[in-house]
Amino acid sequence: MKLINKITIWFIGIVFLITPVTMFISRNNIKKHLDEAEVTRMKEVNDRVAQQLKAGEKPDRYTHGRPIAISLLPGALPEQRVTVVKDNYVAEDLGRKECRITVDSYYEVGAQHYKISSYNYVIKSEEIFRGMLGTVVWKMLLMIVAVAVTARLLSGKIFSPLRRTMKAIHSFDLKQKNKIQLPQTSTTEFKELNVFLSKMTDKAMEDYAAVKEFSENASHELQTPLAVIRSKIELLSETNIDGVQAALIGDMQNAIEKLSHINRSLILLTKLENQEFKATESLKFCRVTKEVIATYEDWITMREIHLSTNLDKNIPLTIHPALAEMLISNLLSNAIRHNRDGGQINVLLTPREFCISNTGLPPQGPTCELFQRFKKSNQSNDSIGLGLAIVKQICEVNNYAIDYTYSDGWHRIHVYFYKNDQPVINSAEALSIAEVLSA
Amino acid sequence: MKVLIVEDNKELASGISDYLNGEKYICELAYTFEVAREKLSLFTYDCILLDIMLPDGNGLELLKYIRQENINSGILIISAKDALDDKVNGLEGGADDYVTKPFHLPELHARLRAIYRRKKLEGNNLVIFNEIVLNTDTVEATVNNTLLEVTRKEFDLLLYFVVNKNRVLSRQSIAAHLWGDYTDNLANFDFVYQHVKNLRKKISAVEGIDYIETVYGLGYKFNTSKT
Repeated sequence: MKLINKITIWFIGIVFLITPVTMFISRNNIKKHLDEAEVTRMKEVNDRVAQQLKAGEKPDRYTHGRPIAISLLPGALPEQRVTVVKDNYVAEDLGRKECRITVDSYYEVGAQHYKISSYNYVIKSEEIFRGMLGTVVWKMLLMIVAVAVTARLLSGKIFSPLRRTMKAIHSFDLKQKNKIQLPQTSTTEFKELNVFLSKMTDKAMEDYAAVKEFSENASHELQTPLAVIRSKIELLSETNIDGVQAALIGDMQNAIEKLSHINRSLILLTKLENQEFKATESLKFCRVTKEVIATYEDWITMREIHLSTNLDKNIPLTIHPALAEMLISNLLSNAIRHNRDGGQINVLLTPREFCISNTGLPPQGPTCELFQRFKKSNQSNDSIGLGLAIVKQICEVNNYAIDYTYSDGWHRIHVYFYKNDQPVINSAEALSIAEVLSA
Repeated sequence: MKVLIVEDNKELASGISDYLNGEKYICELAYTFEVAREKLSLFTYDCILLDIMLPDGNGLELLKYIRQENINSGILIISAKDALDDKVNGLEGGADDYVTKPFHLPELHARLRAIYRRKKLEGNNLVIFNEIVLNTDTVEATVNNTLLEVTRKEFDLLLYFVVNKNRVLSRQSIAAHLWGDYTDNLANFDFVYQHVKNLRKKISAVEGIDYIETVYGLGYKFNTSKT
């Protein structure tokens, strides 16, 4: 759930909680003030009548039509000169609740004691409440709408630094040497977040550069000792040696071959990561494919593999020629190596994708893992397990999508030249959708 | 042939010179940029083996010096970096060819010979050994004046053998020579066996002497003492 929605919901919840309480308080207040005003008025009325009495005027004229009763009080005046009585009762004739306030005032006029009492029906608290309810519904509605709308409008403004920060993190790539660009903000929390983020990414970039530099230097520094070992072994094989020694030297040569292959591959991967292969112009991918296939023809024939190709002509792609060659070469040599003798290889090239499929033993483990470095489908295999890692890296550098599947004894690797072309649904789903559509 | 080896690693330099001495070449060693420049100013060489990374300078700078001084030697660059930039810069700077470490000595030699043929023998494109004549221009091989029906790879293989005669050539080195960068992707070196077998068959078919022999556990050898 979005932060702003959460805040809005909490806010509305609080409004819902607070409103009944405030309603209760304001109802009581209104009722109290209304009653007080009524009592004061009636007291004044009583006083007025008493004055008239004192002045000897007949109070009839004033009291006429008013709920005022004047009566003679036998005995002494009560201690309290004014008493207020509030009655809540059900009026039987109307069949509804009534609220009546009676104010009794006691006066001494001449030698006689009078009791003047006024009463009035006042508004009941339920009625106030009912009146308030209508307003409250409107008030709540307006508040919710206002909160929701202003939250949306404000969040766009308040959270925009956060959003921009998140975008910056999203597009941040450790492999590229650009520092992270975080937006300026006046919000303290976001400022802290940005400071923390830039510190973290700077550190990560430093560490990454250090590790990369190390592996780069290590690989380059290894080349010379390797050259020394190789040349010395070659010189050694020229000397007078017997069969046992020759076999030992042969093994050493194999190991050095492998070592130099690993080293070369690692250097290549580092260079790919460093974006050292910038494509400047487009090349004909079909021609490269044909050339690579021609190079491997010997091997294919030797293993009695049946190769069928379906290559579209004139496919220009902007890719470094060395990378294009390496991409196809690695995929094709894999397809040959992991094939069975007398197996099959299909190569398909369209303007959108390059697809190579070959027969072979099922992979041990998930196919996507085979793109990892030194990951082999068969650990005892002769290969060093960097071929597909290089392929993957080449695809990443050129923004191609790659996917590897295995089904019905066929290994299929698709390289999509445009990332959007990668099918979102697999073929089985597509088939069932097609069936539904045709039905 | 007189060769100057400019390489800061002494073991590697001595390895190269040992191999080339076996070919009766005269080799001189220079471990630093300064020594190399001094030697170049005093003597003339047919070929120069040049390492790009030197402790006191860049091999490409030396290349510039060689061009300035109009020194007409064949130049083969050796580099630990197989960066394309280095390759291009080297070749544009006047170098004739380029090998990357770790290289095979027979490969280095074959390239040196090719440079020598182009540069010093004024494009003499015939490589002759007894009855075998190889024309590097037309890619034609003859044995006793009979044209040998060989593929491009078989021709390269025979040339490699003739240039490195009486040397043990490992399967790896032959593969690297014939397939270049693709060697890494080859699972094994059975192809080498296949190509050598075919070549021997073709030479025997025209009644040429089968100089090529198998060296058990190591590879092959073009044995000139065979008759």
